[in-house]
Amino acid sequence: MSTSLLLRTLSGPLRNFGHLKAGSVWTITREAHNKSKSPLAQYGGRFTVTMLPGDGIGPEMMNYVKEVFRYAGVPVDFEEIHFDPNSESEVDFFDAITSIKRNGVAIKGNIETRENRPGQISRNVELRNELDLFAYIMNCKSFPGIQTRHKDIDIVLIRQNTEGEYAMLEHENVPGVVESLKIVTRANSERLARYAFDLAQKQGRKKVTTVHKANIMKVSDGLFLETCTAVAKEYPNIEHNNMIIDNCCMQMVAKPQQFDVMIMTNLYGNIVSNLACGLIGGPGLLSGRNMGPQYAVFEPGTRNTGKSIAGKNIANPIAMLNASVDLLDHLGLDYHAQLVGSAINKTVNEDCVWTPDLRGQATSIDVVQNVIRNIQEQTKTKNWGGPRMGR
Amino acid sequence: MASLFTKIQLTASLVSRPATALLQKQGANQARAFSAIQAPVSKPEGRTKCTLIPGDGVGPELLYSVQEVFKAAGVPVDFEPKFFSEVQPLMSVSLEDVAESISHNGICLKGSLATPDYSHSGDLQSLSMKLRRKLDLYANVVHVKSLPGVRARHNNVDMIIIREATEGEYSSLEHESVPGVVECLKIITAEKSHRIAKFAFDYATKFGRKKVTAVHKANIMKLGDGLFLRCCREIAALYPKIKFEEMIVDNTTMQLVSKPTQFDVMVMPNLYGDIIDNLASGIIGGAGVVAGASYSGNCVVFEMGSSHTFSEAVGKNVANPTAMLLSSCNMLNHVGLEYYGNMIQSAVERVLKVGKIRTKDIGGHSSTNEFTLAVINNLRH
Repeated sequence: MSTSLLLRTLSGPLRNFGHLKAGSVWTITREAHNKSKSPLAQYGGRFTVTMLPGDGIGPEMMNYVKEVFRYAGVPVDFEEIHFDPNSESEVDFFDAITSIKRNGVAIKGNIETRENRPGQISRNVELRNELDLFAYIMNCKSFPGIQTRHKDIDIVLIRQNTEGEYAMLEHENVPGVVESLKIVTRANSERLARYAFDLAQKQGRKKVTTVHKANIMKVSDGLFLETCTAVAKEYPNIEHNNMIIDNCCMQMVAKPQQFDVMIMTNLYGNIVSNLACGLIGGPGLLSGRNMGPQYAVFEPGTRNTGKSIAGKNIANPIAMLNASVDLLDHLGLDYHAQLVGSAINKTVNEDCVWTPDLRGQATSIDVVQNVIRNIQEQTKTKNWGGPRMGR
Repeated sequence: MASLFTKIQLTASLVSRPATALLQKQGANQARAFSAIQAPVSKPEGRTKCTLIPGDGVGPELLYSVQEVFKAAGVPVDFEPKFFSEVQPLMSVSLEDVAESISHNGICLKGSLATPDYSHSGDLQSLSMKLRRKLDLYANVVHVKSLPGVRARHNNVDMIIIREATEGEYSSLEHESVPGVVECLKIITAEKSHRIAKFAFDYATKFGRKKVTAVHKANIMKLGDGLFLRCCREIAALYPKIKFEEMIVDNTTMQLVSKPTQFDVMVMPNLYGDIIDNLASGIIGGAGVVAGASYSGNCVVFEMGSSHTFSEAVGKNVANPTAMLLSSCNMLNHVGLEYYGNMIQSAVERVLKVGKIRTKDIGGHSSTNEFTLAVINNLRH
């Protein structure tokens, strides 16, 4: 069962209460969309979505997504933006950003940053800052078909996505001494905490854990912790506790089932999300959502380019396909999200068509074809277009 | 990478053919597990539902022709017919019923509706305007494209006319203030102008168009059309790759009849759109060959490019089904059934190009039925 399916089952009973979709996880973002000045590019039930294939395995993964969408009859058209990672020109990059501003939603592979030159800003970070995608959400849920050390993990990991250690403010005061600034603001911490608690409430989750290092960074992480604790008081029915990052890592690998919703600053989130991916079966499975008040960008969970396995037909397409299911969920295409989501889960859990990263023998294309076959199986009996109920 | 994918599909299909033949003896299930995906992408096994409004005048005849062609092509679409008419109010289903069906199915194929000269209920709105309001079908798109074999004064015309269809002069707000003085209100709002402008630019982006022309009369209606024009300019700033032009409506009509090839995508308020749709259709061969569609956020109604019911030809078997057939192709493409959409479109084009079977409006002597049969004979799977 994929992460998004889980959300659906949890929110199922609530959802039946009419058009409000009170149980929907994405009600917050949908309301934000209605308020914002840039509506989605949705015409006649079809959506246009920006596609940034990125580098490494990104382009091939995007082709699989398109392939699967075509077979599932998904009413989504992609506006593809390609840019050369080696070019100095920022024109294409800003074109990509205006495209997301026009369409409201994007699916992306990871973009390679050319070199570790000072002053060279990571384009991934720049994109998130430019679009104000302040929250990164990853649903870490065990796949029952995959053998791992821990079973029944079900964590929603929420990471601050635009500030903290990723402020990219570094300088050398005197030769040999470098300062790197970590920025924590009350405003951003507060809206992240509120987002987390709202999400916990909508999904019916019990506990939120704030991860920090306030014993050392007493002022910056202190502010983050203090803000989260203050927000937690507004949600008395949800338990709130906090945990120091080093202990958190130990607990994650020892007893991950104790966590429910986790909220943390940027760098900790980066580390813990990769750790969680490792617990569940590697980088090829989970997807992440970058959410802001106006825009949403979907990508594979671990945010790596996978350059070493590009073009070899061995990369696991499940992560990107799960990102595409998140995308469908966000667009309100529940029928198609369910169709593709269940085809993916059947492939992983029942058919056990696995790429080498899961100790399987299958190629990327085998996996995709199996997903497509599962989709065809389902479209035999159902109306292909599905109930075309937009939002 | 796309080519790699298809290449591997091809090789897989080559390999699997003998393999499946062998396995068929052992059992169909196993054979299925080994066979590669060979079906054309948009030939899914599920079926799609579409609302059908026959309309008035020759509408029912044209839609019968579409249904015949669909049957012959094996299109996996089921129609949900709704008889909806203002001139035959006793037989018509209710507006709510039709709107419910369309918003549920997401797509609709519609013949033109006749508008009587007076209303039974005293309403100023016609039934098709009510339907537009109800479903918020705000964007009317007419693709005016020269067809091979249809002789017209201009060749190589290919333009998309996008018309705001829910406000402007069609507000149905008219009143007689004092006897002999009537005021008719034209409403322009920033919200709807932004929406239609964004629609036009997104449409241009999706279909790889280069230029958008806003048509207006802001030199006279400085506030109303001025607002429309300003909204278009604001949206244009978000699309640096698409050229934006402005043109006054009177000049536009002159340019259209003298040099129509200069236009690409055009966006305009309601009444100008109505006039220019018809004018442009006339340039390339008349109402019988131009398809159109009305979009809302959630659904699309596919119809004729210019709304004539052609009621004098009812039952005479002379109406040209080309527009309706092309419109149905657009409908198929919209729901991802491109395989069938392309098949029917190329059959229609083949019939027109050969030119032996032509209806009266484009200079022939053939009947509607003959044309329909010719299209069916030209379907190539």
